[in-house]
Amino acid sequence: MKSRERFTAVFNNTLPDDRLPAIEWASWWWDRTIMEWQKQGLPDTLGFHDVAPYLKLDQHYQFWFPHRRSDCPQPAFNGGPIAEDEEEYEKILPYLYPLEEAEAHIEVMKTLKAGHDNGDYPVWFSLDGGFWFPRTILGIENHLYSFYDQPELYHRMLDDLADFQLKLLEKMYAVITPDFMTFGEDMSYNNGPMISEDSFDEFLLPYYEKIVPYIKAHGTKVIVDTDGDVSKMIPWLMRAGIEGVLPLERQAGVDVVALRELYPKFIFIGAFDKMTMRRGVDDMRGEFERLLPVMKTGGFIPSCDHQTPPDVPLERYRIYVEMLKEYAEKAVKG
Amino acid sequence: MSILEEISDNLQHGKAKAVKELVQQAVDEGIPPETVLKEGMLPGMNIIGEKFKNNEVYVPEVLVAARAMNMGAQVLKPYLEKAGVKAVGKVCLGTVQGDLHDIGKNLVKMMLEGKGLEVIDLGVDVSPDTFVNTAVEQNCQIICCSALLTTTMGVMGEVVKKAEEAGIRDKVKIMIGGAPVSQAFCDQIGADCYTPDAASCADAAVQFCLAMQ
Repeated sequence: MKSRERFTAVFNNTLPDDRLPAIEWASWWWDRTIMEWQKQGLPDTLGFHDVAPYLKLDQHYQFWFPHRRSDCPQPAFNGGPIAEDEEEYEKILPYLYPLEEAEAHIEVMKTLKAGHDNGDYPVWFSLDGGFWFPRTILGIENHLYSFYDQPELYHRMLDDLADFQLKLLEKMYAVITPDFMTFGEDMSYNNGPMISEDSFDEFLLPYYEKIVPYIKAHGTKVIVDTDGDVSKMIPWLMRAGIEGVLPLERQAGVDVVALRELYPKFIFIGAFDKMTMRRGVDDMRGEFERLLPVMKTGGFIPSCDHQTPPDVPLERYRIYVEMLKEYAEKAVKG
Repeated sequence: MSILEEISDNLQHGKAKAVKELVQQAVDEGIPPETVLKEGMLPGMNIIGEKFKNNEVYVPEVLVAARAMNMGAQVLKPYLEKAGVKAVGKVCLGTVQGDLHDIGKNLVKMMLEGKGLEVIDLGVDVSPDTFVNTAVEQNCQIICCSALLTTTMGVMGEVVKKAEEAGIRDKVKIMIGGAPVSQAFCDQIGADCYTPDAASCADAAVQFCLAMQ
């Protein structure tokens, strides 16, 4: 079976003929991990997309569309604001929603179309979501206050965001139809959602309702990327038409086995407890055994539940990949 | 509804301006400042803290409530000082060295202050020496360390070691929290307390301070 066919099978809640996809879902490897692995023999000549095949993982191509121009003013500190109120938002508007820069990504996607059409690899894209994007503009703390302090601005930003994204998606779909997409959100943490269901419904739901049906109409699976414990949010996301979540962080208490019981057709990606990779081979095997029943249900791609930590030795990661493939086969062959 | 209940209710709803005005009104009406604090503001924050622990309210609601609490506290502070009312205890708090994430730390700070504790906020990227030196210099009963990253949580163990080296380990409780931290990790490094959320942290901190009085 070709790589893209495996993804398609899983996304349709069936099982591929030979094995599940074997991926590190986060296409952007943690730079610190790569630096450590280079000290341990990973060739430093490998390009961005060369690492996965070098480590014998399935290739997949992710495109995260830019939502701010590359010359957009930067926050004064990590997590700080670029604009704190409507007046400042007006000032930075010329730097936001850069269709031309997004089109440059689409041009690159064009170069992958032949291989994608041929089934060699899946292509996916990512958008800043309705929680994530305002946070990058307002700053982490001010963003959380804004649900109460500046609701009109929040709604306006999401209207602008949706308009921009619909324009760029129209251009993208004229060129290529990606297999799945993620809304980057990170709106949950170790104790569950960061916002209430009421806030979700008031602010995020109308935004999703503008974008999600358009994406689904093209056959692209719609997934939300939110770290932390997403469990409680899943019904909210389902109401918004979302079809899956990643990365299902075990450390935050996410139990994909229990979630599969509750949501038999929801797509899950991730869920492999990265902490076991630090602890050793036996723990990794135990973790795969925990996940195996869910792997057999379709609709689940096991993968490190966020990025592989830098203190996981390259040699152990190679064993992890072998084990991942072993269980990816076991899941479909019994 | 009494004015103290009004203070509590408005605080829970994050109405900072109303809380500030009501606190001033209560003091002007002759209600002792300690009563305003203990029967108006703190019960309001306690309710928010409990609801937060139970996922009945979420981070934005806690932030606006804590902001209202702080606005009221600013009004009340000179009256409390004049009346000789002291804080329940003193805490130094920070995100550990190498880690720049502060939203969790800030939430903890607000909850601690909401419980009547004095908080010295050391910010982010705080070295073990800074935690320990501050605790010594400021006579803190508690050091609170926050981390978001698996790669930085190890610094918490160094804080424990530094506190031992400084000879203050029996005088200071070391509390830890953050996404990658667990009770097992707390036990492993020899810290005193792990709490899974900001409200629980504030509860535990008050208990420690009361026990040390």
